[in-house]
This record gives sequence, structure tokens and C-alpha cells, in this order.
Amino acid sequence: MRYNEKELRALSRQPAEMAAELSMRGPKKGSVPKRRLVKLVVNFLFYFRTDEAEPLGALLLERCKVVQEELCVFSISFLEDPERKYHFECWSQEQCQEWTEALRRASYEYMRRSLIFYRHEIQKMTGKDPLEQFGISEEARFQLKSLPRDGWTACLDSQPDTLN
Amino acid sequence: MKLNKKSVAHYALSSPADHTGFLRTWGGPGTPPIPSGTGRKCWFVLKGNLLFSFESRESRAPLSLVVLEGCTVELAEAPVPEEFAFAIRFDAPGVRPHLLAADGQAAQEAWVKVLSRASFGYMRLVVRELESQLQDARQSLALHRCGSQKAIAGRSKPQAPGRWSPGQENGHLRPRDYSSVDCVEERGSKPVVRDLPEWELQSPASLLLSRGQSPVSPETSCFSTLHDWYGQEIMELRRGWQQRARGSPPDCKPQERP
Repeated sequence: MRYNEKELRALSRQPAEMAAELSMRGPKKGSVPKRRLVKLVVNFLFYFRTDEAEPLGALLLERCKVVQEELCVFSISFLEDPERKYHFECWSQEQCQEWTEALRRASYEYMRRSLIFYRHEIQKMTGKDPLEQFGISEEARFQLKSLPRDGWTACLDSQPDTLN
Repeated sequence: MKLNKKSVAHYALSSPADHTGFLRTWGGPGTPPIPSGTGRKCWFVLKGNLLFSFESRESRAPLSLVVLEGCTVELAEAPVPEEFAFAIRFDAPGVRPHLLAADGQAAQEAWVKVLSRASFGYMRLVVRELESQLQDARQSLALHRCGSQKAIAGRSKPQAPGRWSPGQENGHLRPRDYSSVDCVEERGSKPVVRDLPEWELQSPASLLLSRGQSPVSPETSCFSTLHDWYGQEIMELRRGWQQRARGSPPDCKPQERP
């Protein structure tokens, strides 16, 4: 798969949601933890050697699972290979929690689910489709049926009605 | 630069896609920097803010990936008299634009429209707007319920002081601060009746003015009686809110864990 590295490098220079120096360990057996500057930009997690301006690598955060492994340590793995984990050690449990929550919400898919949920709720309450004003109400990506049906997705149908 | 390509490819193949279709493309390794000729026909798949190309509809491995951030999509001139071309241009210097062409005008317009709105930033904007509209809708609904004199049941979600102020309806919150988004994820495990304390923060005057109906039990002949009667209820609720605001931290906010 080809991609333009310049595009990704430019993205890595954009303002980050979160950035910190963490200890990172790759998924391969026997890999050692290394100090990295980790930067969350949109749905990508970039990691840099602490003294370099260009990223060493990037992780696309779609269909990922973020789990707290032990105190101050969280891991990122992906749906198609849950045993293959990237480990990150934080400076405090608080920082670990902050990153875990942020990374869970960092995907485009998460935002799509939120959008569909809000749209559905607003429609129920007001009878109006809030996406009409944007001219995007017909787009396939915003329909309820566009949600992927797999075990890692919160199913909207099971959300209780909060106003009962 | 490393990338978790395998996961990216899996994402590309996951259904449903946001938009798909055949497009002619110029560029790629081994091609001249200035596009020429009729280009190469590929199957394109848009997923979120990522545009993938495949050799064919049945291919399982993407040929290429374009990250649709920091770019604009415009109609363009193709190297041959192809009338339905468009280009993805990047703001960053030194990044080559991607030239693409559709089969017809409808397809061209559809692609330009959908690619222009594919960025993460655009989604975030729409989500925030809907969050705020949902709050507004809930506030109106809560006010109607007050009008029919139901006691406010259940536990209100405590909010940090200073985060909301009367009359501020569009909280400028980053997505991760918004507590009800947290609760979307956690609702399965906690039996919380989520009441919405936002209405409590409206001033008593606006609360009374926005209520269209008169209550049933207190004497309604005199407005000042009404005012005093409801005023007591408001004072009680405000006291309760202030106590909660000073008290224990809310459940879902990560930064307030002890």
C-alpha cells in the first residue's frame, strides 16, 4: 500500500489533542521500552524519538482497543489481532487514565457513532432531522444502518432512554 | 516512517464504506510529476478521512492511501479532454496534489462534495453542533416537565462549578470533556437516571417566562403569588446544585479522580 509520507509528516506537525513523553514498547516479542514523544493528531497517534522533528511512525486509531494493563500502563491493539499490543507507560496513573480515555474517543468511527446517536436523540425529541441544515442528511455515513455490527461497537439500540 | 499498514488495510476493507466508485487516477511511483495521458482506472473507497484505491472491486489489498486532512478538493483540468476531473490539494508545501476523474458530472460532484467533508475536523464540528442542539432540546423538554409539576426525580449529574453558567448554551468543550459522551459508553454498567441539571442554571425569571402554562395547585390569580411559590422551588434546587457542585467529583470526568 502506497501513501505519501509527506502528507503524514505534515499531519504530524498539526496541533495535537495530546502530546507527552511516554515509554513505548512495540508489539514484537522481546521488544524493549523506549522513551518516545507521543502525539495524538486527529485519528493518528504519532511517535517520535525525543530529539527528532520527524516522526518515527504512526498508528491509525480506527478499530483499536485501548486497555489499562497495569498501574500507569495502557496498551493499544487492533481488532484483527488483539494479542499484538503496543504498550505505553505513563508517569502517573492520572496521565494513564487521561490517555486511555482520549485514545478511546480518538477515532473517526467513535465520532460517527456519537453523531448518529445525537441525531437519533434530537429526532426523537423534536421530530426534526438536525443534519438537514448542513445538507448532509442523506449521506450514507450518517445513517443508523451505517454502523458496523461487530463486537467492539456499542450498539445504539441498547442505550436506555435517558428521559424516562 | 512506520505505519500500522495491516490494520489500516483491514479498516479499508471494513464495511460499510462512506463512498465508493471507479475513478481515473494519475500519479503514483514511476509516473511523471506532471500528469499526462488517460490515467489509470481504479476502484476508490472512502472510509472516514481516508481515501483508498484498489486494483478492482474484489481486491483485498489497497493500492494507495490518501489522508484527507489539511486539504481542499476542487474541480480541475485533466491532461486529456476529460470533463469530470477534480484535485485534492494540500495546504502543506511540497505535497503533490492528487488528480482524479469520474465517469460523469453527477459522480464528479458527489465525490467533490463527500471528499470536502471527509476531514476529522468537519466531523468534530458537526458532532459539537449536535451536542449543543441536544442540550437545547433537553432543556426545553425539562422545562415542559416542570410546567406539569413533576418532582425532579433521580440523581442529577454533578457538574464542576464554573463549567456552565446561566444562559450559556453552547459550551465550548473539547469532545473528551463532554460528560454525556462519556456516559454513552458507560451507560450499560451504571443504573443512572440521568437528569439534566442544565435547566436549573437558568435564572428564575427566564424559567417562569418560558413556561407557557399555569400550574395547577397554588393560587394562580396573582402573579406575585405564583412568583413566590415557584421562587421557593427554584431556591431549593439552586441550593442543592451548589452543594453538589462543592461536593464529590462527578463519575465520568477523568481529571477529578482522587
